[in-house]
Amino acid sequence: MPLRRRSTLVAYLFLLPALGLLAVFTFYPVIFGTVLSLFEYDIINPPRYVGWLQFQRLLADRYFWIAITNSAKYVLVVPVIQLGSILLAVLVNRQLRGIGAFRAAYYVPVITSWPVVGIMWTWMYDQQGVVNWVLRSLDVIARPVSWLSHPTITLYAVMFVTMWKGLGWYMVIYLAGLQAIPAEYEEAAMIDGASRGRVFWSVTIPLLRPYILLASLISTMAAVKVFEEIYVMTRGGPFFSTYTMFMYIFDEAFQELNMGYAAALAVVLAAVILVFSVINFRVFRRGGLEWY
Amino acid sequence: MRFPLVRSAALTLAIVLVMTVAGLTAPQTTTLEFWTISLQPFFTDYVNGLIADYQRANPGVQIKWVDVQFQAIEQKLLAAIAGGVPPDVVNLNVEFTVRIAEKGALLDLDGAVPAADRARYFEGLWGGTRFRGRAYGIPWYIAPPVLFFNSDLFKKAGLNTLNPPDTEEEMVAAARQIKDRTKAYGFMPLIDGTRLMHRFLENGLPMLSADGKRAVFNTPAHVAYLQKYVDLFKGDYFPDDTLRRGFNGAVERYSAGQLGMLLVGPQFLLRIKESNPEVYAQTFVGPYPAGKGKVIHAGLMALAVPKASKHQQEAVKFALFVSNDENQLEFSKLPGTVLFPSTKKAAADPFFKQKGAGPEFKARAIAADELKSGRDLTVVVPNQSELYKIFREAVESAFFGKMSPKEALDWAVREWNARL
Repeated sequence: MPLRRRSTLVAYLFLLPALGLLAVFTFYPVIFGTVLSLFEYDIINPPRYVGWLQFQRLLADRYFWIAITNSAKYVLVVPVIQLGSILLAVLVNRQLRGIGAFRAAYYVPVITSWPVVGIMWTWMYDQQGVVNWVLRSLDVIARPVSWLSHPTITLYAVMFVTMWKGLGWYMVIYLAGLQAIPAEYEEAAMIDGASRGRVFWSVTIPLLRPYILLASLISTMAAVKVFEEIYVMTRGGPFFSTYTMFMYIFDEAFQELNMGYAAALAVVLAAVILVFSVINFRVFRRGGLEWY
Repeated sequence: MRFPLVRSAALTLAIVLVMTVAGLTAPQTTTLEFWTISLQPFFTDYVNGLIADYQRANPGVQIKWVDVQFQAIEQKLLAAIAGGVPPDVVNLNVEFTVRIAEKGALLDLDGAVPAADRARYFEGLWGGTRFRGRAYGIPWYIAPPVLFFNSDLFKKAGLNTLNPPDTEEEMVAAARQIKDRTKAYGFMPLIDGTRLMHRFLENGLPMLSADGKRAVFNTPAHVAYLQKYVDLFKGDYFPDDTLRRGFNGAVERYSAGQLGMLLVGPQFLLRIKESNPEVYAQTFVGPYPAGKGKVIHAGLMALAVPKASKHQQEAVKFALFVSNDENQLEFSKLPGTVLFPSTKKAAADPFFKQKGAGPEFKARAIAADELKSGRDLTVVVPNQSELYKIFREAVESAFFGKMSPKEALDWAVREWNARL
């Protein structure tokens, strides 16, 4: 066997285990789910082909519009979380004594499970919780607020928890990015008289753009697919104000047993994620040294 | 050489025959999987004893007991049915039973249980899980709610602890007084989600027309009832997380000593005692403040048999054993328990009228008295989840000011009627 063909074969053999896993746990469910969206299926009775009916139905379904609007609103968390984690990464990107402890501390929420985080923040957001206590002590609010019981603020309260938990994760990505930027670029800009802010916006951020693309992409997908925090903290309430697409898919699939309809919703959600991903690529495509 | 060969062959044949006959006569073991809702750890010994008794009396049957949390039971059951590994007997409440029966996944127990056995249960309870004319659950136990009140908060509010509110109206007045005088909330009314349906029915306000084909919960009386609670909500007379946290929130708040009154099944005394002995010590018990309908929603627990069970007959037999007079009576008599049997003979036992010290005794006597007006008021409708969701949205619309109570109920009735 020629050497070239042999090395190609070896490369494929190395890929095979990963491809096998992807085929079983990703490709097959994606294809199965897409096909399922054309059927009516309640787990107990055999599936019945209904064609595009599920997709027509969702256009007239008010809960679909509520859910997709809430999911789209949730994407607002992305710029905030990215900016926050870049600033955090800049803060911990120093050679100080004990900086490792700070980095680890910021990472603790990332490795804490959602049920624990959800329950902890539910207590903190309680009328007699620590959030109200702090805000009242600072005279920011006159009377305790039920952060998870008001339709106008609950979504944002849950978004804050998402941000709190995710900051450390993105901070690590940006920390890697910052450490990959040669110090000479920033030093050269400072020798040329640029202020710290100018260096940050004109040197650090452009060079970080490939990392921003990666982190924003992951963050946007996570925001559109948000589920755990909503499930643990609000179950979609009050008054459907936190009823996101994944909550709706979950309800349709496992409460109402409309597996086909849930699959149709999931297909639409995948399309929405695709649109947001394209936007991310368009915005952050140019980055690194290509920026200049 | 030939002789030993013949002898060996004969011996082999004999062994094979003996083993075959033994195999034919040996009892076949049937394993039944039995799922309960949140009975561990308080009732572990009782259920294990029940299983041991049954296995002793039925040598060919093994029972595998699985205890599941209330929040997980429905999904776990559906996943098990879909996966082809359903339990044989499963403990469900009426709402879950009807929802799963609607999918055609449960055994029709009107057909599977002989009439003589059915007659042992209260007729109203046997019919509690009826959907489209067929019953899908064997009634197991029932717990009519009672009123727990914090005597300390009552005294601070100037209320008489020996004369707790007797009606819903009096309870609302007491709740106002507690809030006005102590700043603590007086109650968390059970109006979250679909519980307002029970309150309507307890007040003689029907949800459906007599033939069950039309929603009728938008009359001026229904609107006035909802308006009353919307006004209390706006006046901050109950916590604004009431709609989100429901009775779990109420139990937590009461256990922390921050709520004047609590309406729950008497079995919750155990939870209060465990989480805060101080509040337990201050807890007095009174009858459930009845609405105008003179009927009380009492949650019924039933035993259902999935259609996909491979041992339906044995499963029904075991479910009847679990819910027979002796076993239900023993269950009700466990220390600290305040549950009631669903069979007439067991419920007539003098034990339920016994007097003693401690709120458990009082709660038991009160709840026993309430049994005559207790019924599971779960509204049984097709497309239950969807209709319930609409109702919940309407109620929340009214509370959060998105619609007036009249607009909200009118809208929900229209949506229901379009689907009924």
